[in-house]
Amino acid sequence: MNDFAGKPFAEAYVAQQPGTNEFEQFVETIPPESTKVDIRGLDFFYMRNQALYSVSLPVAQNAVTAIVGPSGCGKSTLLRVINRIYALYPGQRAEGQVMLDGQNILDRSTDLPWLRSRVGMVFQQSTPFPMSIYDNVAFGVRLYENLHKAELSARVEESLRRSALWEEVKDKLETSALGLSGGQQQRLCVARSVAVRPEVLLLDEPASALDPISTAKLEETIVELKRDISIAIVTHNLQQAARVSDHTAFMFLGRLIEYGSTERVFNNPRTSKAADYVTGRFG
Amino acid sequence: MLAQARGALAEPFFRYACGAAATALLCAMGGLCILLAIGGWPALSTFGLSFFTSTTWNPVTDVYGGAGPILGTLITSVVALLIALPLAFFTAVFLTEFCPQFLRRPIGIAVELLAGIPSIVYGMWGLFVFAPVFAKYVEAPLMAWAAPDSIWGKIFTGIPNGSGVFTASIILAIMILPYIAATLRELFLSIPPRVRESAYGMGCTPLEVVWSVIVPYVRRSAIGAVMLGLGRALGETMAVTFVIGNSHRLPRGLFDSGATISSIIANEFAEATSPMHISALLALGFLLFLITFAVLAIARALLGHGHGT
Repeated sequence: MNDFAGKPFAEAYVAQQPGTNEFEQFVETIPPESTKVDIRGLDFFYMRNQALYSVSLPVAQNAVTAIVGPSGCGKSTLLRVINRIYALYPGQRAEGQVMLDGQNILDRSTDLPWLRSRVGMVFQQSTPFPMSIYDNVAFGVRLYENLHKAELSARVEESLRRSALWEEVKDKLETSALGLSGGQQQRLCVARSVAVRPEVLLLDEPASALDPISTAKLEETIVELKRDISIAIVTHNLQQAARVSDHTAFMFLGRLIEYGSTERVFNNPRTSKAADYVTGRFG
Repeated sequence: MLAQARGALAEPFFRYACGAAATALLCAMGGLCILLAIGGWPALSTFGLSFFTSTTWNPVTDVYGGAGPILGTLITSVVALLIALPLAFFTAVFLTEFCPQFLRRPIGIAVELLAGIPSIVYGMWGLFVFAPVFAKYVEAPLMAWAAPDSIWGKIFTGIPNGSGVFTASIILAIMILPYIAATLRELFLSIPPRVRESAYGMGCTPLEVVWSVIVPYVRRSAIGAVMLGLGRALGETMAVTFVIGNSHRLPRGLFDSGATISSIIANEFAEATSPMHISALLALGFLLFLITFAVLAIARALLGHGHGT
């Protein structure tokens, strides 16, 4: 079950429902036991403007799900629902269900710090905190666990190794994180999220500000992390989605248009919008 | 050719006008400083070091020592800062982290209005409204509570009539509070949203976000904001003159009457007739100028450097 990627899909054609989706839609389903996060009928609003229309989408267990689509299609909005970071801003609200291990995280009773410790997030621009490299990685761990110094150091090293940063920073852990290069800062942010051992990791265009070499390192990291983390990544870069992801969701104007195995979506898209997009005809 | 000619007249004029305005400002400040120094020189040279250490202030015998007002200025400003800083900090945090959207503007405007009220209004309010209440419900009970020989007894020594160093400090705190709160709020808002988001995204509670990320992020600039508040407290005149009690000796405790440099000058300038008396007041003014200048220079140096560590 942990190695879900690559298994055949049960395909299903979702009939067009009047009033909810005026676009042609093709959505594959995956077995419930392989689903880590199950988004069901999600609507999202910025004040009165609706940004997502009845989006239903699984994030598979221990696999990478890429969310692609033209600018403004709601990819990032969708990602920001999964750890409820949108709740920082009054006027933004989500309706529907987002099930994490069978529990609806959109419930008012959800403890947000607890949710966010299980669902980590890395943003488009790196955001190291103004402290040392070591303290950045240890930051989240210190919030949740009371580790001894040696255990904490071991966790920091493990996290930095997993994000392919250890060799570059092991001799300067006590220097400020703000002195790192952009690519290193982004991998540091990944390490910081990984250190708290999240079950889900959300990546919001993590490589869009990076050079090709840093991007390649980050992609290796992503593939390494899916061993024990379920990952959702928003990206503008279709090649990147093809390289790192197992499943791909294509969104357009706030709707989910097509979802399925990455190989199938890229090689044999079933909807005309997705076909146009992956062949570069628009977007 | 046309492009070259356009602005050939106006541009140099514009540049010189800007330069002249700035230079005039600099000359005014320099001149003020020099004249204060020259005016205060007779007092400073006559009394020497004792001008700073003696508390004798006797216009009849023409002997002047400024220790009382110098100390009063520093004490009232620092105590005011100690009161205002936590309040300002909590206000700024509330406005940026917790305040519901519809309350943000009203509270923000109230903070700015508080900064705009003329100081003499604060002084009148302090003398007629605040001081009697403060004397009856705070000073008298505290002095009754504190044993005379204990440390508290020494701190709370004075006359419980509402006028004194502590009352002045409280009025000053109310006056500098909006400056510090507004500046801190601006600093908190200047933090990129993604930094706050990633801190919350780590699962931080608001307290942890403010304490572990936001405060370290703006620490240096925040010190600058505090120094600007201190600079204003040092120079405030009318509000303090109303409520400090105006006594030249060293205040024995927080409730004792005292004086600040600016309150002494405001009280005595009209009556100063002997040249030495005027010179002593000018020397005090020069000193206040230096203290304020030092505080603002430190603030500027701290504000000038960017964010973080």
